[in-house]
Amino acid sequence: MRGVILVIIGVVAAPLLGGLIAGVDRRLTAWFQSRYGPPVWQPFFDVAKLFAKERLLVNTWQVFCAYIYITAAMLSVVLFFLQSDLLLILFVQAVGAIFLVIGAFSTTSPFSQVGANRELIQILTYEPLIVLVFVGIYLATGSFKISEVYSHTSPLLKSLPLLYIVLCYALTIKLRKSPFDFSTSHHAHQELVKGFLTEYSGPYLALVEIGHWYEVVLILGLCSLFWATSWTGIIVLVGLTYLCEILIDNVMARMTWRWMLGSVWTMGLSMSFVNLIWLHGG
Amino acid sequence: MDYLKVFITKSRIKSPWLLHFDCGSCNGCDIEVLACLTPVYDIERFGIINVGNPKHADLFLVTGTVNHRNKKVLANLVAQMPDPKVVVALGSCGLTGGVFREAYNVIGGVDKVVPVDVYVPGCPPKPEAIIDGVVTGLEKFARKKDDRP
Amino acid sequence: MLDSFLFILILGPFIAAALCYIVRIPHIRSLVVLTTGCLLAVTSVLLFLNGPFSHTPPPILGVPTHWWVLWADDVLLLTMLYYGFKRRHLFSKILVIFQIVCLDYFELFMVDHDKVFPPFVADNLSLVMVLVISIVGSLICVFAIPYMNKHEAHQKLEKSRQPLFFTFLVVIIGAMNGLVLSNNIIFMYMFFEVTTLGSFMLISHDQTETALRNSVRALWMNCLAGAAFIVAMIWAYITQNTVDAQKLIAAGHMGGIMLTPLALLCFAGMVKAAQLPFQSWLLGAMVAPTPTSALLHSSTMVKAGVYIALRFAPGYAGTFLSQCLTACGAFTFLAASAMAVSQSNGKKVLAYSTIGNLGLIFACAGINTPEAITAAILLIIFHAFSKALLFLCVGDIEQHIGSRDIEVMRGLYARMPRTALIAVLGIVTMMLPPFGVLLSKWMAIEAASKHLFVIVLLAVGSALMVVYWSRWAGVLLSAPYEPRVEPEQQDVLTRLPLLVLAGGAVVLGLCAPFLYSELVVPFLPAPPFTIQAGIFENPTGAFVLYPIILVLALGFVCAVYAAGRARRARFSGPYLSGAQTADTESFEGPMRKPVAVSSGIYCFESIFGEERLTVWFNICGGILLALLIGGAV
Ligand code: SF4
Repeated sequence: MRGVILVIIGVVAAPLLGGLIAGVDRRLTAWFQSRYGPPVWQPFFDVAKLFAKERLLVNTWQVFCAYIYITAAMLSVVLFFLQSDLLLILFVQAVGAIFLVIGAFSTTSPFSQVGANRELIQILTYEPLIVLVFVGIYLATGSFKISEVYSHTSPLLKSLPLLYIVLCYALTIKLRKSPFDFSTSHHAHQELVKGFLTEYSGPYLALVEIGHWYEVVLILGLCSLFWATSWTGIIVLVGLTYLCEILIDNVMARMTWRWMLGSVWTMGLSMSFVNLIWLHGG
Repeated sequence: MDYLKVFITKSRIKSPWLLHFDCGSCNGCDIEVLACLTPVYDIERFGIINVGNPKHADLFLVTGTVNHRNKKVLANLVAQMPDPKVVVALGSCGLTGGVFREAYNVIGGVDKVVPVDVYVPGCPPKPEAIIDGVVTGLEKFARKKDDRP
Repeated sequence: MLDSFLFILILGPFIAAALCYIVRIPHIRSLVVLTTGCLLAVTSVLLFLNGPFSHTPPPILGVPTHWWVLWADDVLLLTMLYYGFKRRHLFSKILVIFQIVCLDYFELFMVDHDKVFPPFVADNLSLVMVLVISIVGSLICVFAIPYMNKHEAHQKLEKSRQPLFFTFLVVIIGAMNGLVLSNNIIFMYMFFEVTTLGSFMLISHDQTETALRNSVRALWMNCLAGAAFIVAMIWAYITQNTVDAQKLIAAGHMGGIMLTPLALLCFAGMVKAAQLPFQSWLLGAMVAPTPTSALLHSSTMVKAGVYIALRFAPGYAGTFLSQCLTACGAFTFLAASAMAVSQSNGKKVLAYSTIGNLGLIFACAGINTPEAITAAILLIIFHAFSKALLFLCVGDIEQHIGSRDIEVMRGLYARMPRTALIAVLGIVTMMLPPFGVLLSKWMAIEAASKHLFVIVLLAVGSALMVVYWSRWAGVLLSAPYEPRVEPEQQDVLTRLPLLVLAGGAVVLGLCAPFLYSELVVPFLPAPPFTIQAGIFENPTGAFVLYPIILVLALGFVCAVYAAGRARRARFSGPYLSGAQTADTESFEGPMRKPVAVSSGIYCFESIFGEERLTVWFNICGGILLALLIGGAV
């Protein structure tokens, strides 16, 4: 019974939460730029509008890929709420991310091709980092299962401080925030038209957007694991992290993929390595 | 179902994504359009986002005169916008060809090539006028309840 | 019963090969190949159902089998020597002569042939290998029949070279079966050498300059492996006084003295499996006709290398050798994946990916826990099916479009929808859940989590792998919408292997719990996972296989349905800044001339370029390998 409720929460509440987070994000960004900003419900209006638009396609693979993307994104969140295996969640999430790229590649548009190539670089950049974060969690708790993380008595942040920073790198990339938003970018900024989302339009863009909300919830959920011992801890940690993300987004310029791959791997891999050695030694 | 329709109409009005096309303007109008995005006017208040892609756009803002070279581009862009959509012509040039209307290569206003819903006069129009034009255009979404083909 | 099974599986292919060589009528040859294929597949299943065994075959024609093996060995080595002279390659000559001297001295003066122990022993690992070799191998041979006809028609040869080709193609299957079933390591060595000669002959098949050069490289590298093997054999005999593989494995625990021969055996396996720094022979082997690449370099022959490492894995568990093997394997995985990213040549991508996956299997063998061994065995099965499928797809595509370059395959779906879809399926089974390769990778990563260095290599390597696979899949589909795509014409014997392999790759992935409990568990001391309702579980993790299959399948059905309905949507060309012309795939350029739209995949030459990296990777690989052998001595 508890499982069923969790599944329902995962399927229904996650996108609502994700949409709300996107709305708050836009509001805060506007505030940082001394603007007024759209209502917090704005993302829901956007998606509803997109659903009611005409279907305009380059080929039908896009549709196929958008559906697989949202299925996988939903499934990964559900697995998270069912406290499943972390690596498995990452792999299921990857199904969605990769099909989205394949969909972008399947169109003949040069803009979305370039975007798709760049999205692959982004995946290449964050995937190993997330795996290493999970390995850190495994070394700290003795298991890859989320249920074990919850039964851990002290906050993981204490033993995995550097890995949390590494996770934040991945979070920034996944949220499509500057300086890592060159495959496509969040709301008002543009990148090579709209990067790999150029050819997704109307209802299919709406599906992609909802899938993105699921992913945001998933990755913030992963952040929450680092202070899973108390609700206040979770809220403070995730809230602060997100605030930092918005701040970084607003103060940073967009960089090139070479810079991203180089700097994130150097920083991320060395920080994870150091943190993992601490765990191994201590 | 009625609630859904009402919600969708409301969403259309509250979330017009905007594509701006400089169709041979002197850049005066364009600067005013961009001024709307600044914190002073902040059109994101109305949910308006400046997108660079007709496939994501609901509102088409055209500035400048149409000539033989760019008329195809104008038509192509409108054709690649999914319905429902609104075309707003800005400035004297967009309306009639403006000061350039006598030039040898100029066809005239935007409505010579694509149907226009809202005309915003001025050389250039003030940002307030542009915003007003956009908001007038949004009424079209409210009027045509559901024009999904 | 066992006698006839073994006869069919090991000697059957040799007889069929002889027939292929002698009877020069194309139709009869095709029939022989087809029959052998079916017979092998059926027999391998029967052998599997028969269960593990140990067996001493009766003397053949009144002569005990070990004499036959010795003679066969001498003939083989002399043939290699002949080719060494013919191609004027000093190093291979030296290596072959070294082997002849060592072998004959060892066999005639050292080994006590009266000791009785069964020369053929099969446990579940061997039986699984036999299944994979016989089924996948036979399918590839069947695919080769129409393929080689077209290949030769294209080459316009005066005299067909097909008899020789099929001879060696079929021989390899027999040799591989022999290798995995042997318990006497002298037998093992003989079959090992057959695969060396076979691959040499098959690589040089086209007789072009590159083919000849690359075949010689394959010859000397594999001879090096053979030499290491023979030294290991003699060393092991001196210390343990036996050539019984089972006893040698058991002796491994005794202490340091047995480690050196085991290290040399692993070295032989790693060269055979083209691990760094010996990857160049496998890359060069890609000049051969595609069935060769599929048979030798993906599913069967290179697996001989990992088989040896896995076979002797219990012997070196918990030693420094084991750790070095893990490091070498994981490093190869990373290096091969990185270099694959820079490739746009489809076959080279496949070759690098094969090297990488074999590296992963070596890493698992080195980690040497039940989990890791499970991962290794499952990876052998799944990888064989998916990779053979992809090789055959590339072969078929190459014969249609005349190129193996990924850029040229852009939009292949519009031209060859069937093959393109099968290829995409193959790619998806190589990298995404819920399919088998990923399941094994999950097991491997969880098993490697305690080895910091290794886990970093694996994490980066798998991300790189995702890059080269997904862009390939995307490019294949990159075509404008057509209301009706005309399916291409295919020979039955081409389509059948493709369909069976594709079905195998999907279905086997879905049957993973069954494969695990039936094939792998009996081989292990303790089952590392419990399976409940299709969920692999142990204290460190859980892979909820069937639930995610269910949900993803549901999503798949919805997606197909939605894509079907979307045919009624409005179709327009891609966004080209409004400048597109009427055909939507070009834009109006200067002077109102249409300019075709083109875009390419990123190959990251500046970062992952082959020329840049090979030197450094080879140096690192060499150092690790030196560590492996030196540490064991
Ligand atoms: S209306 Fe005036 S400001 Fe606008 S483009 Fe024409 S001339 Fe320039």
